[in-house]
Amino acid sequence: MHIVACIKQVPDTAQVKIDPETKTLIRTGVESICNPYDLVAVEAAVQLAEKYSGKVTVITMGPPQAESALRDCLALGAQQAILLSDRAFAGADTLATSYTLAQAINKINDADPVSLVLCGKQAIDGDTAQVGPGIATRLGYNQFTYVAEVIGLDPASNTITVRREIEGGSEVIEGKLPAVLTAELNLAAPRYASLPELVRSLRQEIKVWGARDVAALPEQVGLKGSPTMVREIFVPPARGGGQVFDTNEDKGNAVAGFLDTFFGKEQRLLEELLAKDGHAQE
Amino acid sequence: MPKNSRGREIAEVIPDKCIGCQLCLAACPVDAIVMDKGVAKIDPEKCTGCGKCVDVCPVNSILFEKVRKKKKPVVAAGPVPVSEYGGVAVFIEIHQDKGAEVAWELVGKARELAEKLGTPVLGFLFGSNVEPVAREAIAYGCDTVYVMDNPLLQTYLPKVYGKALAEMCQQVKPEILLLGATPLGRDLASVVATVLGTGLTADCTGLDIDAQERLLLMTRPTFGGNIMATILCRNYRPQMSTVRPRVMRLPKKDLSRQGEIKPVAFVPPQDELPRIIEFIPRAAEIGGVDITRAPVLVVVGKGACNPQHMPMFEELAHLMGGAVACSRPVVESGLLPYVRQVGQTGRTVAPKIYIGVGVSGAVQHLVGMQGSEKIIAINTDRNAPMVQIADYALIGDYLKIVPELIKGFEARATGVKGAGA
Ligand SMILES: Cc1cc2nc3c(=O)[nH]c(=O)nc-3n(C[C@H](O)[C@H](O)[C@H](O)COP(=O)(O)OP(=O)(O)OC[C@H]3O[C@@H](n4cnc5c(N)ncnc54)[C@H](O)[C@@H]3O)c2cc1C
Ligand code: SF4
Ligand code: SF4
Repeated sequence: MHIVACIKQVPDTAQVKIDPETKTLIRTGVESICNPYDLVAVEAAVQLAEKYSGKVTVITMGPPQAESALRDCLALGAQQAILLSDRAFAGADTLATSYTLAQAINKINDADPVSLVLCGKQAIDGDTAQVGPGIATRLGYNQFTYVAEVIGLDPASNTITVRREIEGGSEVIEGKLPAVLTAELNLAAPRYASLPELVRSLRQEIKVWGARDVAALPEQVGLKGSPTMVREIFVPPARGGGQVFDTNEDKGNAVAGFLDTFFGKEQRLLEELLAKDGHAQE
Repeated sequence: MPKNSRGREIAEVIPDKCIGCQLCLAACPVDAIVMDKGVAKIDPEKCTGCGKCVDVCPVNSILFEKVRKKKKPVVAAGPVPVSEYGGVAVFIEIHQDKGAEVAWELVGKARELAEKLGTPVLGFLFGSNVEPVAREAIAYGCDTVYVMDNPLLQTYLPKVYGKALAEMCQQVKPEILLLGATPLGRDLASVVATVLGTGLTADCTGLDIDAQERLLLMTRPTFGGNIMATILCRNYRPQMSTVRPRVMRLPKKDLSRQGEIKPVAFVPPQDELPRIIEFIPRAAEIGGVDITRAPVLVVVGKGACNPQHMPMFEELAHLMGGAVACSRPVVESGLLPYVRQVGQTGRTVAPKIYIGVGVSGAVQHLVGMQGSEKIIAINTDRNAPMVQIADYALIGDYLKIVPELIKGFEARATGVKGAGA
């Protein structure tokens, strides 16, 4: 069984700070990491491959530096890594990204048929859960998003049974392979890479494919293949600072002062609340 | 203006402003730009100083001072005849046989957008025996509701719904299509955008119209909520967007509103379809609490993450008719379950009153609660971001403040009730 995992290298958004003076992002020193949700997808892929004696290929579309994210995945136990990197891919939105990844999966599939594609459920730096379903739709595969558990996989009948998290609960669903799965955080816990795996991951050759290698049409990739465009980027306007009541300064009256102000100014809001809820009405 | 060794004037990136969008890479004709640690870097020897990168950078992070003739951007004739499309459509999601609240919130927003465009609000409804929902859609503000009614549409499968909604769009040709950013809505939106080859912007927090260009302006947080981006889709239709529940306001229902219900034929797909084996309702979300619906939230942060004080927070919440929620470290500590987490990786909430107790207000938390009507911060640190954005901030130890609040609130609430009666 051959499983492809799609990953993305992202800036570690936890490290990103805003310069309060210039209102711009402070980017210097921010590291790039493999999207944490994607590591879950790779771990799940590796576990499935171990169980069903298959293999895992990781792919990513990105600049040459994204290679380091692929190496992280090799260290988790993936067998093969392919970097889709081409100047023509730059500026891609999710539609162009899913096209490029689907083209690559088609090519991988020609060499060694693919049964499953795994993606993280979303990327921490922006795009929200669009690429997985986009790939499935382009390839005509079944799609199972927000998967929390793979309940069963039967290579003989070519079916997979998963539990997905949806509004108000979860759903157990069964369908034919090949399929695209997007991983919830609880699908798998990424392992700590062993030393031999780490060494292997650093030595292994990573293939680099460009637009021509995956037979991508120029008008479908990168900026040209992206219907959406960024018009403006801005720092969210700060909510105007409100009133401050400091217990260190107001000698025991701060809370009472707050309550008086609050009940005075928010009369309407409180009436609405207290009229409805039945609490504090006895 | 910097020059390279050949004396050419070149462009230069300001690394701290660069957001790593790579648009300049795509624009540079001589391949002079590479990404380095997520930031664009220009090779001074390769750069010819043409200035193309400067034009595309959305955040003006490229310095380029050479005077040159600014070319008017060529407005490409759209790949789709944009003017043939009209109407603001809302996908009416059904949740347990009823219209999902987020759908009505979007209908409310759609009315506002449609009025600016001078076009009708359309409801797109799929399901089995959904006529009552269609009538409700009209009461909330739809002018026309297009319905595909078929037993096969009783449950959601991406292939079935994807085909149905894509075909609906091809027939009705709406210029805008809005969906709730629920698990179902997100899933479906990407299928449909891919089939139609149009642009989709997920998780928008703001929608507006550029009246001059007749375009939908879709604003969403990006970069983990650190910055906002306004996105548009100029040449493809419909312009698609998903919006999280509780971001837009629920409009008033008006049962006397008139509208039209139009059936549309549904052609089932030929593929062999997945089979839903069972639905397992979420084990009564710890006392059945849904933090997205509580009008008041007492939100416990790491600074108040103490099991002994939970009864006190419960009491305050109960007193105000609300519920207890928390920040991520509190979930990580095991004190409260994940369903109570507010923020980027938790729930988006917009209560009438948000009370943050020992919550610092990291961006990942703020993006999940910015829509709250009134924000109260209780914090020892006057400079905490939560204190900065709060309408009311109480500075000090929560152990002292919260009991006083409970007492004072109890005493005053009776007064409000008396005054309101
Ligand atoms: C990809 C990603 C996603 C994330 N998603 C989320 C998310 O969805 N939700 C979320 O909440 N976080 C999320 N985080 C984490 C986020 O970055 C912050 O770490 C987190 O929100 C901080 O929680 P906190 O405010 O409770 O704790 P802290 O930042 O530690 O703040 C504690 C506060 O308590 C105050 N305090 C201490 N003692 C007292 C006292 N006695 N009385 C009153 N005040 C006191 C302190 O002054 C401080 O302001 C995410 C992070 C990443 C990287
Ligand atoms: S000025 Fe022209 S040549 Fe130089 S980096 Fe920008 S686009 Fe490339
Ligand atoms: S276009 Fe501007 S923001 Fe985008 S990568 Fe280039 S320099 Fe950075």
